[in-house]
Amino acid sequence: MKLERESMNNLLTCISLALLVVCIVKPVAAADVSARDEIVCIRCHGAQPGRLGEPVKLWRESIHAANGIACNNCHGGDPKDAVNAMSPARGFLGAPKETAIPAFCGRCHVGVAKDYLSSAHGRALGKGGPTCVTCHGNHLVVKATLDIINEKKCSACHDYERARTIKDAMQQTEGLIVSIGGRIDSFKGEGVDTDRLEKGLFSVRNRFHTLFHNVDVGMVKQESARINTELNSIAGSLDKIDEQRKKRKLAGAAVVGGALLAALVFYLLRKSYD
Amino acid sequence: MIFVKRIYEWIEVRLGVKELVAKELTGYLLPRNINFWYSMGSIILFIFAVQVVTGMLLLVYYVPDADKAFSSVTAIMNRVPFGWLIRTCHAIGSSMMVLFLLLHMLSVMFMGSYKRPRELNWLSGFILFTLVQVICLTGYLLPWSQLSFWATTVATNSIGAIPLVGQFIVEFLRGGKLVGPPTLGRFFTLHVAVIPVLIASVVGVHLFFLERIGVSTPPFGLDNTKNRWRGDAFRYDEHTGGIPFFPNYILQDMTSIAIYFTLFAAVVFFCPGIFFPNDAFIQANPFQTPAHIKPEWYFLANYQTLKLFPNEFIGLSIQGAAMTFLALLPFIDWGNEKHPLKRPLFMVCAIGGILLYIGLSIWGHYS
Repeated sequence: MKLERESMNNLLTCISLALLVVCIVKPVAAADVSARDEIVCIRCHGAQPGRLGEPVKLWRESIHAANGIACNNCHGGDPKDAVNAMSPARGFLGAPKETAIPAFCGRCHVGVAKDYLSSAHGRALGKGGPTCVTCHGNHLVVKATLDIINEKKCSACHDYERARTIKDAMQQTEGLIVSIGGRIDSFKGEGVDTDRLEKGLFSVRNRFHTLFHNVDVGMVKQESARINTELNSIAGSLDKIDEQRKKRKLAGAAVVGGALLAALVFYLLRKSYD
Repeated sequence: MIFVKRIYEWIEVRLGVKELVAKELTGYLLPRNINFWYSMGSIILFIFAVQVVTGMLLLVYYVPDADKAFSSVTAIMNRVPFGWLIRTCHAIGSSMMVLFLLLHMLSVMFMGSYKRPRELNWLSGFILFTLVQVICLTGYLLPWSQLSFWATTVATNSIGAIPLVGQFIVEFLRGGKLVGPPTLGRFFTLHVAVIPVLIASVVGVHLFFLERIGVSTPPFGLDNTKNRWRGDAFRYDEHTGGIPFFPNYILQDMTSIAIYFTLFAAVVFFCPGIFFPNDAFIQANPFQTPAHIKPEWYFLANYQTLKLFPNEFIGLSIQGAAMTFLALLPFIDWGNEKHPLKRPLFMVCAIGGILLYIGLSIWGHYS
């Protein structure tokens, strides 16, 4: 009888322990907020096979999707009304004709559209020259980097040699931009106020990207050198933060060492009283 | 020297300091087999003190206004001298407090110290644990970051699953239908004024119970590991021939606090980002839901447990019932045995439960 009671007590204790570790007090959130409310374009096209569903799959992997730019931001229409989603009365534009593509993308990318139109590529618009989507893709738009300039893409229209020379001239700057961007992101993730540096890099990167549409090798080299100087200045600011971090770590090592020493002293003192 | 002596005598004849020291320090005896785990409470008191001091310092520069909160925290982290250190200590200290409260509770459970006559110690400790979690939750919103905003949105949303009054409670907590500036005002008041006072009061009550009943005897290194309490009348649990609190055990407390501080300082200086995902440093944007919002590590098991249930209310009810059961544990568990190894079923379930908790937390983190 006594044993039975003891077992019951043990059981109750165990259940409570298990509940403690499983439930750890108050209830908290359960809802998964990662699922965004989808617009009607995605709900309808996303479920369709082949040509009609393909843009959704591509878009999901794009930089537009990552930045919250949805179908209606480019194609217009009403993303909340399935019946009238593609009504011209609601501003639906559909897919632009080839010659209208630069203006279509240029509604947001104003400066880039201007650079493109003044470039050799832009001047050949409608005469067999490339449009924005030829190099950047239409739905799977990825972040613009030098990788877009490659033999496969360029040699589809012309010889790659000139493009290679330009790419080589820009490679160092591009590498610097990527590396500085990574360092800024890393510091930002540690609570460093990177606002000024981010704005500086954004401005330099945009200026650099205008060169992507330029085919004047001399000018590209000259401008790249100027941009490199500005990038080095940003990198200098980041180096100072790095230096400050190292000093903090040194101070931290002293604090940790001091605390350990204190622990040892207290322990030995305690032992002396035992 | 004579002047100091005269001051001492002046105080002595009025307060009886000598007697107080003899009773509460040198004459306050503890069991001879007392162990390291008994210093968890002192560590927690130390953490609480650090939280209060760093919290007060943060108040000098923090602005509890939705438009300025994030920039004020950014300024604290970047422009205020040693602001980064104060804020990092405060943020990491909150996690440490929960961690050490958990360890304290588990040690009390393993050593059977919650058993009668210490039911009230357990209850007050349990209330403290809950209050600490509430203060952590309310403090989470104050930086007004994406993480703060959306974690609070998700956390307050779940209360809406309570039938009839759920929605009312949600709106009452938020000060509106959605998390916004009124929520920040409410959480700020709770975090800096209401809950700290409650915690300090309950700590006082907890220590009063400890002082009144006496320290429990650990079940290790003894032949008789049964509960000694007879229950016929109130008796202070004396430990004749035990070790004095001062200087012996206070040195153990100091050792434990120094070891804790080593660990704490190592996290603060060498991996300060351990409790900060990137969303913690992006200003709150009610129009942009981050892809993966997760609660703090100590809520991950709850988060994952609730996700396992198709109905949020069922999940909440089960947790509520578990909470009640746990709070009333000393009134349910009447067994006299205190040694964990003489409670084999207890050990199996305890270790299984800890593994389950860790498993659910990891699952919650990666889900």
